[in-house]
Amino acid sequence: MSQEQVSISQPLIAPELRRREQNARLTMLALILPSILLTILFLYYPLVFIVRMSFTLADSFLSPTGPIFTLENYVAMTGRYLSNVWVTIKLAGLSTLVNLIFGFPFAYILVRKIRYRDLVRGFMVFPMFGALYVAFGMRFILLPGGIATPLLNALGIANTQALYSLPSVVFAMSIFTFPFMVMNVGTALSNVDPVLEEAAACLGARPLQTFWRVLLPLTRSGLIAGALMVFGWNVGTFAEPLLLGTINEQKSLAWTLYQRGVVQTDYGLATTMGVVLLILAFTVTYFSLRYSRGALVE
Amino acid sequence: MKNFFTSRRLGDILSHAYVWFCLILFVTPFLALLGYSFTGPQGNYAVQNFQYVFGSFRNNLLWSFKISVLTLLLNLIIALPAGYALVRYPFPGKRVLFSALTLPLYVPGAVIGIALVLTYNFTYHMITSIWGLVFAMVVGTFPLMLTPIVVALKDLPIAFEEAAQCLGATKWQTYWRVVFPLIGPGISAGLLLSFIIVFNEYLVTLFVHPPGVTTAPLRVFNLVRTAGLLPTTAALAVTMQLISFFAVLAFFRIFGTRYLKGTYLI
Repeated sequence: MSQEQVSISQPLIAPELRRREQNARLTMLALILPSILLTILFLYYPLVFIVRMSFTLADSFLSPTGPIFTLENYVAMTGRYLSNVWVTIKLAGLSTLVNLIFGFPFAYILVRKIRYRDLVRGFMVFPMFGALYVAFGMRFILLPGGIATPLLNALGIANTQALYSLPSVVFAMSIFTFPFMVMNVGTALSNVDPVLEEAAACLGARPLQTFWRVLLPLTRSGLIAGALMVFGWNVGTFAEPLLLGTINEQKSLAWTLYQRGVVQTDYGLATTMGVVLLILAFTVTYFSLRYSRGALVE
Repeated sequence: MKNFFTSRRLGDILSHAYVWFCLILFVTPFLALLGYSFTGPQGNYAVQNFQYVFGSFRNNLLWSFKISVLTLLLNLIIALPAGYALVRYPFPGKRVLFSALTLPLYVPGAVIGIALVLTYNFTYHMITSIWGLVFAMVVGTFPLMLTPIVVALKDLPIAFEEAAQCLGATKWQTYWRVVFPLIGPGISAGLLLSFIIVFNEYLVTLFVHPPGVTTAPLRVFNLVRTAGLLPTTAALAVTMQLISFFAVLAFFRIFGTRYLKGTYLI
């Protein structure tokens, strides 16, 4: 009976259905097209552009005789500028480490013990307003006569020694990205049932054992995603090394890129640095998306 | 037994102390700036620094607001349909497309800056136009706008739209009267996140700002670099952070923190 119905109505419905489907596809395309155009015009094309430019010599891209193609920039990156790459990775790595060590207990306490979470969130937005303000504020604190002077004197450190140093740069970077770490770890932790910890304790595990054997394995993906995210953000550090670092920290790629590219107009070298930064950030992002909740639209 | 309780109590106190220690560390840079912004020329207490903020820095603040508003509007116009299409229409490669659209979030600001300034110079020839800066901001914050909208739409059962259409509403009526009000918190979460980023962005602006346009964060950056540390600069930085903070606070009061989940702010 039902088969008969289908066979009768199909020829009538089919064209109408096909037309509707086509309409829906067109609407969908019209809705999504602006966003695709935006990202292609203002992100992907420019990125391809700088990749192409990174193979040209200095500012020869502009010259009327046409660009001179060369691999010299990449040779310089593996030679003269290798230390810049290392400094960038070192800074991002150290701040990630600091965030991991201090972020996990923070997220744990936030998820398990604290009821005034909105207040904590309110405080935590301050670093997110930008690394610039954090670095600027840190400068005031560490300056001779700043708030930290008595503390530094007690420790026997000169102000300028603390102001222009690796720890102050790493500290500022860590403050800036700490909320991201807490966000990732906190999400992972809130999916872990507290009963599991109680069970571990009942079975005679010490707190440290519970941490190593129960909590850490269960939150590993969140920790990895958070660490990678923080690393990816801090790879492009700009204001912190500039305002708080010594010449050594100021070798960070983003700052060198600005100087070579905008100040000295050595476009070839600057874009090469951009490409290296991009590769660093994208590698990290790829793994971070694999470990975090990537399936938002499925 | 008694021992157990006291050690547990101690643990609680220590953990609360730890959280507060971290929170104070977060706001210390801001508090330092706040304190310094009230310092007069002789080290005395003074409010005059804030006169500069609305005096010689007024144009910078106005530029910041103008750029923010334009960016938010464009962002909304582009992200709203895109989010709707991503959630409501089936098509192959959706996940890849979503990743491709959210990738700008992970490109370091300096790379976006140098890439855009070079293409504006050599290909698009729009280096002197304010729209170059606006589009740079739009592309950078687009993922922050799109993600909360997608989250909100996924939470909204399609039954509401179907019911509206069954009751005779046209497509537009359904959007304006049913869908948009119901995903309102998601939209405003996107607006808030984009506003905070655009309003405080100095790095991309440093690369692509047209001559004569200096936004407030860029002014802070330039002054810190060239003029040393002045209380007036601190006052400007404090004002910027306070405006951003009150925007966040207002959002928390009106919508709560639910719609910021899985995005950028917790």
